[in-house]
Amino acid sequence: MLMMIRLIVTALFILSTPWSGLAEVQDETLLDIQVREIAKTLRCTVCQTENIWESGAPLAQQMRGVVRDRLKLGHSPEDIKEYFLSRYGDYIMMQPPAHGVNWFLWAGPFVLLLGGGLFLYKEVIGWVRRTPASPTAPPPPLDEKARQRLEHELES
Amino acid sequence: MTKSTQLTLVLVLLGLFYLFYEGLWGNPRHIPTVLIGTDAPMVEGPDVETGEMISLEQFKGKVVLLNFWASWCYECKVEHESVLELHRLFKDDPNFVMIGVNYQDKLPDAQQYLKEYGTTFAHMRDVKGQLAIDYGVYGVPETFVIDQQGKIRYKYVGPVTGHMYTKITQEIIAPLLKGQPVSTPS
Amino acid sequence: MIIEIGNFSVTIALVLSVFGMASAALALKTRNTDWARVGRMALTLIFVLLGVGMLALVYSFIVRDFSVLYVANNSNSKLPFFYTVSAVWGGHEGSLLLWVFILSVFSTLAVWIHWRTQPTIMPYLIGVECAIIFGFLCLIVFLSSPFERLLPVPLEGKDLNPLLQDPAMVMHPPMLYMGYVGFSIPFSFAMAALFSGRLGEEWIKVTQRWTTFAWMCLTTGILLGGYWAYYELGWGGYWGWDPVENASFMPWLVGTAYLHSVLVQEKRKMFKVWNLFLIIVTFSLSLIGTFLVRSGVLTSVHSFATDPERGLYILIFVGSVIGIAFGALILRAAKLKSQVELDSFISRESIFLFNNLFFLVAAATVFLGTLYPLILETFGGGKVTVGPPYYNAVFMPIALGLLFLMGIGPYIPWRKASVANLKKSFSIPLIAGAVMVALLAVTGIRNLYALAGTYVVAFSGMAIVMDFSKVSQLYAQRNSSNIFKGCLAAFTANQRRYAAMLTHIGVLVLVIGIIASTIYQTEKVVSMKVGDEMSIGDYRMKLTDLHDVEGANWKAAEGVFQVFEDETLITELRPQKRIYNATQTPTTESAIYSINMGHIFLTMPEVSPEGVAVARGVLNPLILWVWGGGIIMGLGVILNILRPRKREE
Repeated sequence: MLMMIRLIVTALFILSTPWSGLAEVQDETLLDIQVREIAKTLRCTVCQTENIWESGAPLAQQMRGVVRDRLKLGHSPEDIKEYFLSRYGDYIMMQPPAHGVNWFLWAGPFVLLLGGGLFLYKEVIGWVRRTPASPTAPPPPLDEKARQRLEHELES
Repeated sequence: MTKSTQLTLVLVLLGLFYLFYEGLWGNPRHIPTVLIGTDAPMVEGPDVETGEMISLEQFKGKVVLLNFWASWCYECKVEHESVLELHRLFKDDPNFVMIGVNYQDKLPDAQQYLKEYGTTFAHMRDVKGQLAIDYGVYGVPETFVIDQQGKIRYKYVGPVTGHMYTKITQEIIAPLLKGQPVSTPS
Repeated sequence: MIIEIGNFSVTIALVLSVFGMASAALALKTRNTDWARVGRMALTLIFVLLGVGMLALVYSFIVRDFSVLYVANNSNSKLPFFYTVSAVWGGHEGSLLLWVFILSVFSTLAVWIHWRTQPTIMPYLIGVECAIIFGFLCLIVFLSSPFERLLPVPLEGKDLNPLLQDPAMVMHPPMLYMGYVGFSIPFSFAMAALFSGRLGEEWIKVTQRWTTFAWMCLTTGILLGGYWAYYELGWGGYWGWDPVENASFMPWLVGTAYLHSVLVQEKRKMFKVWNLFLIIVTFSLSLIGTFLVRSGVLTSVHSFATDPERGLYILIFVGSVIGIAFGALILRAAKLKSQVELDSFISRESIFLFNNLFFLVAAATVFLGTLYPLILETFGGGKVTVGPPYYNAVFMPIALGLLFLMGIGPYIPWRKASVANLKKSFSIPLIAGAVMVALLAVTGIRNLYALAGTYVVAFSGMAIVMDFSKVSQLYAQRNSSNIFKGCLAAFTANQRRYAAMLTHIGVLVLVIGIIASTIYQTEKVVSMKVGDEMSIGDYRMKLTDLHDVEGANWKAAEGVFQVFEDETLITELRPQKRIYNATQTPTTESAIYSINMGHIFLTMPEVSPEGVAVARGVLNPLILWVWGGGIIMGLGVILNILRPRKREE
């Protein structure tokens, strides 16, 4: 309640003096942007796959604070990443590092796509080869037929 | 469908369900910590009750048990009695120290909690959450055992009750106090 | 009393599901249709009884009967009426009941609709549906009943999770479940085809509308989920590759592959086993998704309340369904000799095969990403996170490939395409793509994904436009009417085809929205006092007031931000930082203004007692295209389902 009154008083004061020296243009500092960039790569460990930038959890808030404090002390983004890795392990990163057994994860989809594509290509070629060239092709489907008829009508 | 396709299908399905089955029993609290065997961060913070600074530095050379807790945490209430019991068990050993770390809490709530449930050892406050992050804490309660060389020997997420109590007292703290090696779980 | 009636009805429904299975078995054994009639009766009664169960639960929520445990856990005396109904599916027990209720609605409808035309299928349909209903009802009745009483009766409920108190969340779960459950109808027909040995095209033709409808519901459900995340979670994005989201996306991907693949069987009578395989995988993924979400296998570290017993039951049930389905496929379809006839590598048939490959690899990618942490942990490899950066990196090339195929597939003739044919259809689209990319590059867009995405979208879009305008012209000339009538004639004469093309256009619109709103998102976070200003993009925002407001079950700090473009005031945004009274959970309520098909998205993640507000402004260009694309897709599907019956069947 007290806070409300205070806020209303402040608001009234500001409204009555619209362009007083109180108003300021606020902007992000370089530090803010750096904090955001780093925070987006770190996982909020108590949330469901959320990074500490997007999460509203208290732990995420404190981790953002740690990132900011360390940046102020002159640590590089790499140092900060190393620090969190040394406390929480790979789990803290939003994506698994691309080394060791994790190659399975990173390369898996592309291996599947290439392998599947190659397999499919061979199969299709094989099927085409085994299919006898049919002189009496069955009637093409309706939309094609309609179109052909139309084209025929137009030509005639 | 060829025989090999059929076999692959069956194997994939079996593998999948084995995985799901294992996943069911996988303890979500079991988080392999990278901290085991590393130097324990020498953190410090004000005492919850007196406000005096407590620093881990001053307990160097002793076996230290760190217990992270909060007044809003249900599982902390669950483990409270057995944590006090644990302290009773070892408090006469001059080489044993137990420190509570109050995490993400309001000071009056924490003080009220200690008054209500009682305590026999000191608790430091984690004012900015920095302590918890230094120890890679996920949530409360979490318990750490630090050996005489200042290395983290054991970590447990969850209430120290039942067989965990037995394990921590008999297999971790007691041997450490006697200077015996303990098997470090991964 | 009412809740006991609900409980009783659901228990009777469980008994009847056994009865339904038995009568289906007897119908098959004795070949007596009377038994099928009994089964139909049982299924219909199950539907009625589960309806009673649902109503009982809805009633308990409306009268706020906190003596019911589930009601006490998921509502509150101050919860607005609108959300008391959606609170019915706000928790685990209620959503399971909704799942099985929708299943009973669909299967009852299917039995009555196809009763006359598909008499031989009916016993199988009844049997399979009753078996699935049985599995879910066992879970509800024995392990997670929403009808349990709570003693002593609390004076106040714990309240519905504030994040779920949102209009999109009212419709999201029912739509999603209608999607999951809708696939059970083609699945049952496929099972019938396998068991009865009638592996022709009939089951596919009969279930085509069901499949399309299920697909539409699933799509809508997923998009509503994204819409909800966008408005409610307050970080300005709509898709987070969360395990729960992925669980719904996987059946969608395979279901979409199936939707395309059946066309080949309809037209060319090929890939019979493949289509059976796809529908089994689709429905299996729906079930696995339910398992993953409900068992807590994938939830975060702090799900202390996971219940392995319940998870184990779901696993056994889901495992049995999937095991039986694949077992039947292996045993019955092994006899089927594949008689594939392909005239050319460049034909619509082979494009469909590659379409399937891409969709399946996409699904496998999501599957792998979702389960990878579990796999690694099971084999002792530590704990990792597989988050959005992974999916964005890996999924993007696959999605681009799919979009490209989408531009080619519909315009390549069946059987064989000639080079002249290809030139005629694709030279202009290829050029159109290049022109679009050049235009974008000139305006300074350098992002590779944006350019590649634009290329495939322009290519595919142009291919659709060219084909349709050509055919429309032909119709206009034939009927000597104007081009608009020609378009209409072309559309109605080939409604199935052009409704599908409309859905494709929806996809393209959606993709443009996704590309623009993710790659070109602008974000700014600043701390402001009343009177301060911030600028973001071309806009200025001035915090003119910060005050407290109060809702029925929450209190909030509300900021009033005037938004200026140049010197003109364009709108006033009022984001809130809410605290819900019952649970003391904070939420950030976003304030949104639509401009140029994009959004100015404003939240206030923190407000300090000293009156300093942290304002977070996000510009999401073209985000309305995401939702607009979804609506166009849905429209296409509705036109597809409502197409006149006789014309092509």
